[in-house]
Amino acid sequence: MYLLDLQGVSKIYGSVKALQGIDLTVARGEWLAIMGPSGSGKTTMMNIIGCMDKPSEGKVLLGGVDISAESARNLTTVRREKIGLIFQQFHLINYLTALENVMVAQYYHSMPDEQEALQALARVGLSDRAKHLPAQLSGGEQQRVCIARALINYPMLVLADEPTGNLDEANEGIVIDIFRKLHDEGSTIIVVTHDPEVAEEAQRTVILEHGRIARIVENRKGGQEAKV
Amino acid sequence: MTKKSMYFKMIASALIRRRSGMLVALLAVAIGATVLSGLVTVYFDIPSQMRQEFRAYGANFILVSANGEALGAAEAEAAVACMPASEIIGIAPYRYETVKINEQPFMAAGTDLAEAKKTSPYWFVSGEWPEADGSVLIGQEVADVIRLLPGSAFTMTGTDPQGEAFSRDFRVSGIVQTGGTEEAFIFMSLADFASVMGDGGFDVVECSISAPQAELEAIAARVTERAAGVAPRLVTRVTRSEGAVLTKLQALVFLVTAVVLLLTMICVATTMMAVVAERRGEIGLKKALGAPDGSIIAEFLGEGLFLGCMGGILGVLFGFGFAQIIGVNVFGRAVHFQAALAPATVVASILVTGLACLIPVRSATEVDPAVVLRGE
Repeated sequence: MYLLDLQGVSKIYGSVKALQGIDLTVARGEWLAIMGPSGSGKTTMMNIIGCMDKPSEGKVLLGGVDISAESARNLTTVRREKIGLIFQQFHLINYLTALENVMVAQYYHSMPDEQEALQALARVGLSDRAKHLPAQLSGGEQQRVCIARALINYPMLVLADEPTGNLDEANEGIVIDIFRKLHDEGSTIIVVTHDPEVAEEAQRTVILEHGRIARIVENRKGGQEAKV
Repeated sequence: MTKKSMYFKMIASALIRRRSGMLVALLAVAIGATVLSGLVTVYFDIPSQMRQEFRAYGANFILVSANGEALGAAEAEAAVACMPASEIIGIAPYRYETVKINEQPFMAAGTDLAEAKKTSPYWFVSGEWPEADGSVLIGQEVADVIRLLPGSAFTMTGTDPQGEAFSRDFRVSGIVQTGGTEEAFIFMSLADFASVMGDGGFDVVECSISAPQAELEAIAARVTERAAGVAPRLVTRVTRSEGAVLTKLQALVFLVTAVVLLLTMICVATTMMAVVAERRGEIGLKKALGAPDGSIIAEFLGEGLFLGCMGGILGVLFGFGFAQIIGVNVFGRAVHFQAALAPATVVASILVTGLACLIPVRSATEVDPAVVLRGE
């Protein structure tokens, strides 16, 4: 059974077809990249996979459960329980410290645990920055706090939207290293990116064009193109 | 760390670390609470002070005999016992008899002069109030007729109620001007009056009581019930005008207070809406992280209620200053701190802020979590 299974997923906004008949499966522990030009449907696909939107047509199965027809309230529960989100803009709460930002995710999920949150920050190399506010952190550090927050509740699926889009080369390398480590530990990761170098780190890259999957590249096997 | 302590930490951090944004909201609540507290202080304090002021216009309650006879001292005491001691300004009993000076008839009044001074503070006395035996106050009309001045001596003659003739020398201590019928009287102490007229009951007991008309009516009912032979009367000329002025004043302050409450609610609601709009990204993030609507509501409402509490406390402090300014500049007298109003102001401030937050907080739950993915 696949962790994620999109079956004929379409999303239509008025006369605009943002996604058309997407069929995609993601195995447990897989690292998948999604690429495509602006307007290709990447964000719409992220929203649907991340349970922040529902498809107009088709089914989305997460862990074998159809979430495409769930209510907004149930989708909130799915996000909280099963998905870890990483954002391009980091989206840290500016009046909370790095540690508290991680603990916020625990607070909504179950019970805040300061030691566990500190360990999550240590995992991304930020144990000495735990008491700093986001404004006192560099972009790379903020992104690592965002990653620690996404991982704190041991999500079924880590969903990253342009995680290196606002980082310099050095910090990009640090974030990619963290993803590698996560993948080695068995996490399922989906990364939306414009950066081919980041995409190449994934096992497969899905290329979207005009709301459809144009092709899927098997990166670890020499960049072979898979069937569309 | 428990969920509760994390909740309070988030609220405290939002308020403390987002100082500039929250100061605006706090200012809105504090100004509303200040005006509210100030006006309510005025609403409660000024009427009670003005009642004292109205007492300058003379007695507002009198006791006479129910059967046409003189009122005995025991009956008068029983009636006075029905009045709340803290509200009594003065109780002046009067005895009246006709006397002669230079063979011209005048009306002499025996009273407790110290109490008369309290019940009739509007009397203007040239000279001194009588202190020694044989000293009297004479009205301006009397002084004009018999040409007496303060310090002048005169002889009073007449017959007492038993028909015995008397003659006694008195000295004018002061001349009283009231603009009323009192100017035709000769006022002396009850002891001096008894020295020429003998002992006897009172014709009338004038009372000055600092109480609204309704309470005076209740006192009258109690006197009728408990003091046999005493007929209480309200001086309606005084009590009605006093009641009318105070009722209108309180109605005005009540109306202004209601308008201020409404404006405060609108102001706080607008400020909280701005806060919600400003923090749309943060709300979207929290929802993306899986925050249920209840948590979002609890956090924003918690911030709002904390602001309401802080604004209420500031309102109590500044409101008293505001009430003082109104009291001194509008009514010409300082107001007293109303301790009971402090918790009431804080509670009212919390309630108003809570109500004002309902619409913005509800709109917070409608934020789409996808805004964070769009980079908004």
